[in-house]
Amino acid sequence: ELLHSCGHINPPSAVVQCGSNFTAVCVVKEECMDFFHVNANYIYWKTSHFTIPKEQYTIINKTASSVTFTNIGLLNTHLTCNVLTFGQIEQNVYGITIISGFPPEKPKNLDCIVDEGKKMLCHWDPGRETHLETNFTLKSEWATEKFADCKPKHDAPSSCVLDYTIVYFVNIEVWVEAENALGKTKSDHINFDPVDKVKPSAPRNLSVSNSEELSSILKLAWSNPYFKTVARLKYNIQYRTKDASVWSQIPCEDTASTRSSFTVQDLKPFTEYVFRIRCIKADGKGYWSDWSQEASGITYEDRPSKTPSFWYKIEPSHVHAYRSVLLIWKTLPPFKANGKILDFEVTLTRWKSSQLQNYTVNDTKLRVNLTNDRYIATLTARNLVGRSDASVLTIPAFDFQGNLTESKCYLITVTPVYADGPGSSESIKAYLKQAPPSKGPTVRTKKVGKNEAVLEWDQLPVDVQNGFIRNYTIFYRTNVGNETAVNVDSSHTEYTLSSLTSDTLYMVRMAAYTDEGGKDGPEFTFTTPKFAQGEIEAIVVPVCLAFLLTTLLGVLFCFNKRDLIKKHIWPNVPDPSKSHIAQWSPHTPPRHNFSSKNQMYSDGNFTDVSVVEIEANVKKSFPDDLKSLDLFKKEKPSTEGHSSGIGGSSCMSSSRPSISSSDETESAQNTSSTIQYSTVVHSGYRHQVPSVQVFSRSESTQPLLDSEERPEDLQLVDHNADDILPRQQYFKQNCSQQETNPDISHFEQSKQVSSVNEEDFVRLQQQQISNHISQSCGSGQMKMFQEVSAADAFGSGTEGQIERFQTVGMEAAIDEGTPKSYLPQTVRQGGYMPQ
Amino acid sequence: MGEPCRQTCTQVRTHVYTPGADTDMHDTRRHSSTRTGERPLKAKLQTGVVPLLLVLHWKHGAGNPLPITPVNATYATCATRHPCYNNLMSQIRSQLGQLNSSANALFILYYTAQGEPFPNNLDKLCGPNVTDFPPFHANGTEKARLVELYRIVAYLGASLGNITRDQKTLNPNALSLHSKLNATADIMRGLLSNVHCRLCSKYHVAHVDVTYGPDTTGKDVFQKKKLGCQLLGKYKQVIAVLAQAF
Repeated sequence: ELLHSCGHINPPSAVVQCGSNFTAVCVVKEECMDFFHVNANYIYWKTSHFTIPKEQYTIINKTASSVTFTNIGLLNTHLTCNVLTFGQIEQNVYGITIISGFPPEKPKNLDCIVDEGKKMLCHWDPGRETHLETNFTLKSEWATEKFADCKPKHDAPSSCVLDYTIVYFVNIEVWVEAENALGKTKSDHINFDPVDKVKPSAPRNLSVSNSEELSSILKLAWSNPYFKTVARLKYNIQYRTKDASVWSQIPCEDTASTRSSFTVQDLKPFTEYVFRIRCIKADGKGYWSDWSQEASGITYEDRPSKTPSFWYKIEPSHVHAYRSVLLIWKTLPPFKANGKILDFEVTLTRWKSSQLQNYTVNDTKLRVNLTNDRYIATLTARNLVGRSDASVLTIPAFDFQGNLTESKCYLITVTPVYADGPGSSESIKAYLKQAPPSKGPTVRTKKVGKNEAVLEWDQLPVDVQNGFIRNYTIFYRTNVGNETAVNVDSSHTEYTLSSLTSDTLYMVRMAAYTDEGGKDGPEFTFTTPKFAQGEIEAIVVPVCLAFLLTTLLGVLFCFNKRDLIKKHIWPNVPDPSKSHIAQWSPHTPPRHNFSSKNQMYSDGNFTDVSVVEIEANVKKSFPDDLKSLDLFKKEKPSTEGHSSGIGGSSCMSSSRPSISSSDETESAQNTSSTIQYSTVVHSGYRHQVPSVQVFSRSESTQPLLDSEERPEDLQLVDHNADDILPRQQYFKQNCSQQETNPDISHFEQSKQVSSVNEEDFVRLQQQQISNHISQSCGSGQMKMFQEVSAADAFGSGTEGQIERFQTVGMEAAIDEGTPKSYLPQTVRQGGYMPQ
Repeated sequence: MGEPCRQTCTQVRTHVYTPGADTDMHDTRRHSSTRTGERPLKAKLQTGVVPLLLVLHWKHGAGNPLPITPVNATYATCATRHPCYNNLMSQIRSQLGQLNSSANALFILYYTAQGEPFPNNLDKLCGPNVTDFPPFHANGTEKARLVELYRIVAYLGASLGNITRDQKTLNPNALSLHSKLNATADIMRGLLSNVHCRLCSKYHVAHVDVTYGPDTTGKDVFQKKKLGCQLLGKYKQVIAVLAQAF
């Protein structure tokens, strides 16, 4: 107590982290110092029984001394502060305990498992050893409430069993806190639904049953754990034969849903299998249950899959004409027996006799007395399900011996007989002595070409071979040539002769050779063809193609130049019945006329004939006419001086040569007066009933012949076609203006006439016009203008006027200085005439 | 633990308080009860329907009314210990399915364990004639259905606690029944937590007024058995509706 009160160490106890420095100070009371006559220099430090070197001491003052430890290692020791009294007596002043260690590391790998029917166990990795007493606390909570802490037991400091009943389908958050003298830390929080951490109980009551219908299946049945009511399950089912050590597993996809039975297929018959099963939550979350208890079952029997090995032994017999035969066979191994073999059935059939001897044997041998005849023995094994296939054995006749003859082929078969039965037999063909074949092979051609021939032949029948055929020789020759020989291997039945001459008769024969010689076969003749196959075709076809091509080109050429050809060889003769009547169309004259002309040309019938169609649009006459007039005025400079053609000749030529006249009324009057001497037809424009008639006339087609005779006239018309158009328009405009005059009675009259069919009528008139064109060209009559004027003066036309009118167009053409000028004419002779 | 609970519950009546459950929620609840506990509950109190008793089995949070009603003022108070996961509805459906699949077995186990005359007079003794059982409207909004579900589960949870307590006394050897009652109460506790979480996290509903069934403490043995049987019959009936509704 004296010493105890003599001083103290600061700190009074120490837990030190490994690797750190530590300093302890010993303070001795002054009265003790005085009592022992010492000071701080007398203080020394000891750990357990070892004195600490003075280098680690520090004298702080008269009564205090400190000791410093640097980079402390693992320690668990006592540190004492001592003084030496009277120079040598060691007095302990104070002592403390020093423990070193580490603060706790953050616990890792925290995870929990819910063993079905038990509480939840959580475990973690505590990290490195702290060497200190470290307390772990497992904390858990729902989002809405906190649960009691779980303290691990001492024997299992890194796991803890939560003592409350776990509730599925509620997420729980769990973490671990670790604490020791050097610090405190906690793991990451894990949050999970306990249903995903369940290790279900193993399936129970696994049973196996077989099926009498199918020997390859076994049915498993089991009881699912209670967890099945909480979540769906999936399974692993494993099986093995009883003697095997390796488990086979049913494919997982077949057992991926909750079930309580399963049929295993593709098993061997009559074989004992062992099964086991385990389960897990169907989505794979959680843990596999333990394996169930193993259960075994035997598949049902099937008929034996293989026949027993079967042999015989002939034993000498004392009885004449009989012999004792011992038939022996082997038992079937289980995988072939497919069940328990109940008995064997042996049937003996005498050669060439229907007599049967049946024996049912439980043993694997049978001794029978047989005559010296040949016998056929069959053996089958039988089990509960059925019989195996029969194993057949021939027991040769007693007197069987080798009366072998030469040049006969023998098949020698040797079957080894082992102690437990026969082995696999082997056969060989053999001759006692060979001879040349009795017949030679018959050769024939398979295919004959210009320079080659394919020969074929049949193998010699074994009866005539008299030995092994080693090779064949083919001889072939022409009538005059030498014979050529070709050797062919005996395995071939076909050969191709090449380099033959075409169109030649060949004779070929063939010989077969054994080791002992050969024999020729019959001679065969064939003739090679003059041409090879396809050769003629190769010549003819290109020639034909070239010919065809030439012809085609010729036709194309002719087609392209048909107009020219036609013109020179067979010029067209117009059909009078298809004559057209010209029409005046004030509406769109230039374009229409062009197209009309083009159409005529495109027809190809009238190569040198021009026809102008002139229509009159009576309804819209006035405004259109004005427009046309304007148009015409614009075009006038270019057209002036070229005026010719129908329009020009009829209207314009009546009094004025040009449209540029400003006195339109006068012009119209002039025109109308001219028209009155022309033919009068009314026509519709675009299905409209015209309010104003169109003037045209058709004449007899007789002069067409003149036209044909004078083609140069027609060509002239063609050249002037362009010039015709403006004139025609001009003519129509004048006429249209005339239409506006209600006092013109002949319009109305013509309208009545056209009441039958205006369009057809107009079309007919157009044809007539075109015909008339030819006619007028051919007539070469003159004085058109004069005649027109006369017509104007006469007013309404008469029969006689019309006749005269015919000549008007002709004369007009001449008057224009061009021989081809056409006046629209509407009335055929004998047809309609204006009244 | 049970005694203080009973006192507290009886005093507060509508607000079950479980000692030792030192959560933030409880504090909030107490405050909230004074503010919002009056509206629909006054009538209950007056009619005497509300007397409530919880037993030890009805653990933390069970039957506790959620704090605070006003939706627009609940963000601060409607807090959970950690964020609710977004699989709550799926979990609620699973829990209802779990309860539904076991309800009939529990009912049979119960009336069988009571002995005669219960098994042969189910209509008379175990008909689902439970007065003041919280209503449920399957065609309501999810929020409304969850609120009603919360009330029903709170009601059933408290009643199951009473039944379990009574049965431990009346049929101490019916261990299977005790186990089944406890398991059902556990599931219901989890269901209540999930519904709470859902209401809180999605609809910010922090308070739901709840009612409880009659207290059986002072009743005779037959009445205890009969009330239990009626409650379980009602439970069987209503849980099927609830399982269908979610």
